[in-house]
This record gives sequence, C-alpha cells and structure tokens, in this order.
Amino acid sequence: GIIERHETPMEKEIARLHRADFEFSDIFYFCRKGFEAIVEDEVTQRFSSEELVSWNLLTRTNVNFHYISLRLTVVWGIGVIVRYCFLLPLRFILAAIGITAMIVGTTMVGQLPNSSMKNYLSEVVHLTCSRILVRALSGTIHYHNKENKPQKGGICVANHTSPIDAIILTNDGCYAMVGQVHGGLMGVIQRATVKACPHVWFERSEMKDRHLVTKRLREHVADKSKLPILIFPEGTCINNTSVMMFKKGSFEIGGTIYPVAIKYDPQFGDAFWNSSKYNIVSYLLRIMTSWAIVCNVWYLPPMVRKEGEDAVQFANRVKSAIARQGGLTELPWDGGLKRAKVKDTFKEEQQKNYSKMLVRNGSIG
Amino acid sequence: LPCAQGAHPHHLSLFSPLAVTSEQIEHLHRRFKQLSRDQLTIRKENFDSIPDLEFNPIRGKIVHAFFDKRNLRQESDGLADEINFEDFLTIMSYFRPIEMNMDEEQLDHFRKKKLKFLFHMYDSDHDGKITLQEYRNVVEELLSGNPHLEKESARSIADGAMMEAASICVGQMGPDQVYEGITFEDFLKMWQGIDIETKMHVRFLNMETIAHCY
Repeated sequence: GIIERHETPMEKEIARLHRADFEFSDIFYFCRKGFEAIVEDEVTQRFSSEELVSWNLLTRTNVNFHYISLRLTVVWGIGVIVRYCFLLPLRFILAAIGITAMIVGTTMVGQLPNSSMKNYLSEVVHLTCSRILVRALSGTIHYHNKENKPQKGGICVANHTSPIDAIILTNDGCYAMVGQVHGGLMGVIQRATVKACPHVWFERSEMKDRHLVTKRLREHVADKSKLPILIFPEGTCINNTSVMMFKKGSFEIGGTIYPVAIKYDPQFGDAFWNSSKYNIVSYLLRIMTSWAIVCNVWYLPPMVRKEGEDAVQFANRVKSAIARQGGLTELPWDGGLKRAKVKDTFKEEQQKNYSKMLVRNGSIG
Repeated sequence: LPCAQGAHPHHLSLFSPLAVTSEQIEHLHRRFKQLSRDQLTIRKENFDSIPDLEFNPIRGKIVHAFFDKRNLRQESDGLADEINFEDFLTIMSYFRPIEMNMDEEQLDHFRKKKLKFLFHMYDSDHDGKITLQEYRNVVEELLSGNPHLEKESARSIADGAMMEAASICVGQMGPDQVYEGITFEDFLKMWQGIDIETKMHVRFLNMETIAHCY
C-alpha cells in the first residue's frame, strides 16, 4: 500500500473523541477513512500486479520506469533479446508440442473401452503433457507436504491467480477439471480430454443453474473411483497478494475438501492475469517472455464441514487456512467486485454496524 | 525509452513548503487516472467505483467536497460538474500531515484551512452558517441505515450538540434569543485547544520502487 493506515478500531476512535454524547468531531474519523479509500482502496489494489521492491529487468513490472544509467539499459536490452529471440521461440515450440500431444494422446486413449488400463493411460498422458507445458513456461514448482495430496472422490480447492494454476497442479497429479465449455483451441482440448477422463464441462446455459451444477458435482464426488475435482472458489484471478471471498457453492457439495495454497514468486515473472487489461493471447505472450515462473504449492491437510457449520463458515475456514499457509492476506471481499459494484445488502449491513456503534456511545437509552 | 509521465513541477507547489515527493504525486496521478478511467476529468459517478467508500456513512458529503467550488478556489462558490487532476490535488492537500519544520504562522494557516474544509462539509447551503437543520442532516447521515433509530432520536442528539456549541460561542442566551447558526469564527472557537491536525491527515509511506544500479 502507499498510505499509512491507522489500525485503531472504530469504537476506540470514537470513544477517544467523546467529551459529551455526540460531537462535531465524529465526522473526522469517517472523513479520513473516506479520503484514505479515495487515495487507495484495499480491493482495487488487488487487481493490479504486485509491485516489486527491486527491479527484475522486466519493464512491465516497473510502473515507475525511469532512465537510470547506461549500464542498466544495456543489461536490460540484452535481457530483451534473450527473452524474445531465444526463450520465446523455444517455449512456443514446446507448448505446441505439449498441446498437440495432449489432444492426440487423449483422443487415442478415449477410443479404448472403459477399464483400469484406460485410466492408467489417461493419467500418463495427462501428466506427461502437463509436464511438457510446465517446461514450456520454464516453470519451477516446489511441492510441499505431498502426503496431503488430494485423493479420489474429494474436492481440491485452491486460490486463483492465473489460468496456468491448473497446469501447475496437474503437473503433480491428476484431477477432474470443472469449467465452462469454450470455443476455439480450448474447446478442442476440452472435447478431447473428456473422452479419456471424466472432466466436468458445463455448457454456458447450464452454468447459470446452480442446482444443476451442484447436482452434477455431487454425483461425481459420490463415485469414489473418480478423480478429485479441481475448483477455484474465488471465481476470478486475484493478484496473489491476498485471498478473496470463497464462493460457498463449492462447499455445499459435500465430501472432503483438500485445500491447496499456490504462491508465485514475482521476482522472475508476474503470473497474475489482469483480464480487464490483457486478453489471453497477450497474457500468454507475457508469460512466455518472462524469465521463469517460480512458485510454491502447499498441500494442506483435508477438511470436512463440521456439525452446525454452514457453507459460508466452512468456506471462510478453508480460506483462512490457505491464506495462512501461502502468506497471503485475507480479505472478505468478493472477487466479483473487479467488475461489479458492492451489493446493496452488504452495504446496508455495514451502515447498520456504524450507527449501532455511534448510538451506543450516544445518548439513546 | 519510456519515461515518467504526469509529474508537473507546478503540482509540487500546491504542497509547498512541505516535502511531498514527485513520486507521491505520481501515485496520486495514477490513482486519478484509475478513477477517471483515463479521462482528463473526474465526475461524481467515478467515485462509485471505490468499494471501501461505499460503507462510509458520510460518503455523499465527502464526494461533494471534491466538487465544492469553495474548496477548489478560495473566492468562488457553487458546484463544479467535473474536476481535473489539479483540482484533485487541491482537495488532497487539505489532508496533508503537518511537518516538524513548520512555524507558528504556517501551523495556524494550516489549521484554519483544514477547519474551513470541515466547515464547508457541514454548511451545505453555502450561506456561511451551520444551522440546526444542517447539523441535523449530518447526524442523520452518520446514523443512517440503522432501522432501530427513530428520526426523533437523531434530532435530539443534534439539538443537544447544537446547544453545547451555542454555549461555547455565544455564552448564556436569553429566553427569547434564537441561535442563528455557527459562523466560521464560532467554529474556530469551538476547536481551540483541540488537536485536529493529527486527526485530519493521510500520511504517505516512503516508497522506493526502483533498485539503483551503479
């Protein structure tokens, strides 16, 4: 952040200012809070890339780019040549190989009748292609606590930073993906892979029907021989400094939740996809011309919903565990705020809290 | 090579004689561009995109303060439809923190400026006086959203506070005297001895975003 925020809770602030019941000075606190929000608000901050303390020779990560010295510029220039003329073509070829192998491989395996052999081959194909793709991004991934890896019939939840999160995870294990059917190359991949392995792809119209989605996922989870589902409950890409609200839908399905925390190291390349600023192609181009993608993945111990806990509380509990492990801050905000405004009901709830506090210190009996 | 844009030497003078770095102005400029969606001016609607601000009960008054011409230029009055970056900085300058090297006169001027800003927030009809009704409006806004609170209670809180203000400013009033409203001089009197400078400021953190390579 760029401004110093006073962390005194609202009650203390108001109590300090009080001589008599209600004062002209009460307006100070809210005035200042308002200004702080205007200069910098916690939410919008999370949708722009993390600022680095020291430059990593990528102008994209340095918003304040000034000319400093000839030597630095030359070094930067060499970096550009290496990245664009050497690394990029190499990676592009690898990625092409990986995607082609995935499509061809899964189509071929899909021809086989259902059997344990088919499942085994499907896993081999998925893992191999995933590994090729990770190499194509020059990815260096450290997996921690592998004993907690998600089991069949469970649900794996993770924080979301970029579309490559899925590849990062499938590099180490096989999951059943959940998502919307796309067109284009993505659609081709989806159609091919679903033949080999029971991924759950929804039509756009089906996504709108929450009950249908929950039902299908429940059926999948109930079958203990099926691969664990992979879900990103935030619903959108966050810039990897914080974890936002987990949508409760994923936590209503039941079954065991296997939380996973993913933290990228921004020093080598910024993995965050700012979808309002860049489309997927320019995003992939940026990723492929970064130095590398370095990240840590922690597998957390499995969690189940406790007695008397509702979906929202459970979601928050899982969210806290992930945030703690990954060293990310926790925010109660909905990732949907990237595009939409705060819901009125939420707003009214907060306003009620404010006035309750003021009245308690006031003269109301 | 791309170079830093937006820092005007003129903008720094709005903050003189305090040490505000051009980097902080850069940050504010970037924030301005974010709020204005890359336009040159901001309108009231642009403040709707700040989630943190939504919860503030006096949100309306704060946004209004940005467009209040009395805050933008000393001698004018009324409301502006849109403000540019310079106006934005002018309003932000009301919230700059005090520095150690200020002398008495500067401190006093500083304080008056902040209190004037606050005064304008209360005085919504721009007549130079805070009347009972205007103060009631502020209290109601601060307590808005609480369904358990009746309008009467908000009123009695406001009345009580106004009475106290009147006793400070005018002293004992006769039974037939009507208290017209708080003028700016009275407002200043009310705040004598109370340290508002530390309550009404936003302090920037020291930022170094580039590694120096020699």
